[in-house]
Amino acid sequence: MKRTLLWGVLAALAVAIGALPWWGSDVLVQFGINALLLAALAQSWNILGGYTGYASFGNSVFYGLGAYGVAIAMVQFQWSFAAGMALGGALAVVFALLLGVPVLRLKGHYFAIATLGISQVMGAVVANLPIAGSNIGLVLPLINNNVLFYELSFALVVAVTLVVWWIARSRFGYGLIAIRENEEAAAAMGINTTWFKVAAYALSGLFAALAGGIHAYWITFLDPGGAFDLTLNVKMIIMAVFGGPGTVLGPVVGALLLSAISEVLAAKVTGVAALFFGAVIVAAVVFMPRGMADVLRRWPQQGWRYFGLNMRKNRL
Amino acid sequence: MQLFLQVLLNGVLQGGLYALMALGLALVWGVLNIVNLAHGAFIMLGGYVCWALFTWAHLDPFLALIPTAVLLFALGYGIQRTVLNKVVRGPMFNTLLITFGLEVVLTYLVQLAFSADFRTINPSYSGANISRFGLTLPLVNLAVFALALLLTVAMWLFLLHARLGRSIRATAQNLTAARLYGVEPRHLYALTFGLGTALAGAAGGLYGQVSQLNPYIGATLTAKCFAIAIIGGLDSPLGVIAGGLILGVAEALTALYIGPTYVELVSFGILVLVLIVRPTGLLGRAT
Repeated sequence: MKRTLLWGVLAALAVAIGALPWWGSDVLVQFGINALLLAALAQSWNILGGYTGYASFGNSVFYGLGAYGVAIAMVQFQWSFAAGMALGGALAVVFALLLGVPVLRLKGHYFAIATLGISQVMGAVVANLPIAGSNIGLVLPLINNNVLFYELSFALVVAVTLVVWWIARSRFGYGLIAIRENEEAAAAMGINTTWFKVAAYALSGLFAALAGGIHAYWITFLDPGGAFDLTLNVKMIIMAVFGGPGTVLGPVVGALLLSAISEVLAAKVTGVAALFFGAVIVAAVVFMPRGMADVLRRWPQQGWRYFGLNMRKNRL
Repeated sequence: MQLFLQVLLNGVLQGGLYALMALGLALVWGVLNIVNLAHGAFIMLGGYVCWALFTWAHLDPFLALIPTAVLLFALGYGIQRTVLNKVVRGPMFNTLLITFGLEVVLTYLVQLAFSADFRTINPSYSGANISRFGLTLPLVNLAVFALALLLTVAMWLFLLHARLGRSIRATAQNLTAARLYGVEPRHLYALTFGLGTALAGAAGGLYGQVSQLNPYIGATLTAKCFAIAIIGGLDSPLGVIAGGLILGVAEALTALYIGPTYVELVSFGILVLVLIVRPTGLLGRAT
């Protein structure tokens, strides 16, 4: 009974969000596109960082590849947007398959820094590629249709969330979780850890690339600094961690909530938004290091004591 | 040949400063297992503190390094004691996120206090140089190089021989055992982090004399420090010197022979390659 109610509420919320262009203002739709793309990114990070335990700090490399895939296809080859998305997605998957094997051997901080370095390298490569517009960037054909971009972003969030939902209850997902908890034990159980990790990396990269592609066509301008932005990496991670890494809905809820809070603050007190973003990161990590999902799970038993217990567990 | 030697010399001089920039990062990473994404922002902050002391208090920039380092030590000690100590045993990416949050806050506050204009620390002797054998040796860069190497070696000797340095190394090796021998980890962690930020501050003060400061250089500097620390390994400050020199020379030669737009590509390319081929650093011990 309780479960059916929960599903009903979730479905109603999803329909309301999906139908936003028909009840919300133009400003709200624009904000929605940004928030949904960030939600898709946070959810794609969740596949690798949340379920597999490999905290990538360079998922924006896939975002950039997807964006450049679309831009190069549309500007240089005069392909359609759909073909561009296919090119961007393919670029990301190939990139993940090529780099996954050497990079996923690294663990912890070394993995985080290697992924960060790779995204900076790709930014520098693109800045020297004439076909990608070098330093100057590319200007895409303009289409003024925010509803289309909103629905595309919404569909992407739904698709990546369904994939995560499948991961949470499939053999593949159990394999990833086993790797997160103890990689040696997972290998001993007969899981091909290399293949599982590379598959998770490619899957995560594919969705990040699609988000990048949509964003590039929406903004109609692309340059290396914007496409391989370091801040974007951290944004998607903090959103996933805020909501609850390794849960199906946590990253989406975290992304939508944080986007909304920072949007309201930016409108009310301009200039303080960056400061707020930094302060929220610090506060969230200190008080709820395992995200809102964990707070909700333990609140019924522990109440306010939750925060104290958590801090005692993680402090020196 | 003349050009090659001059560029090599510039690279070596830059490399000494790079070593000092990365030293604090490597220390905090190696001992506390905290990868400080705000390290570049602390360098930037040190540069601005030094600039303010020079411009407003008319202090000699080399003398101003002392109050700068003391101030940044206090800041780092406070941050570790009040914030970072609370999360060090949590999931690994949490410390990364927190230090990134600090980087955002520091950048914003510095931009508020000093505006986004470019600043340089320009004492009266800034243009002085020696010319020999057709090579030009800028004196300020030479002093910066010498001071950076001196501080790095002093740090190495301190870790090796001083009582405090040895308790820092003991903590890095085994926290529980160090505790049993009477080391108070909360204080020691804060001390180590403070030492890291003080080194960053000193490096920033020197950086401000040979390059331009603006509030947004933090992230790039952090990334450079990563590359240096990874090339040199986290075992000893001497590795960091080697890492700094390698990066400085590689960047200078790339700018000359391939093109200035490829500098970033080469420095991050080296970082990724070293990580993939030899994660413990080119000079670090294999595990």
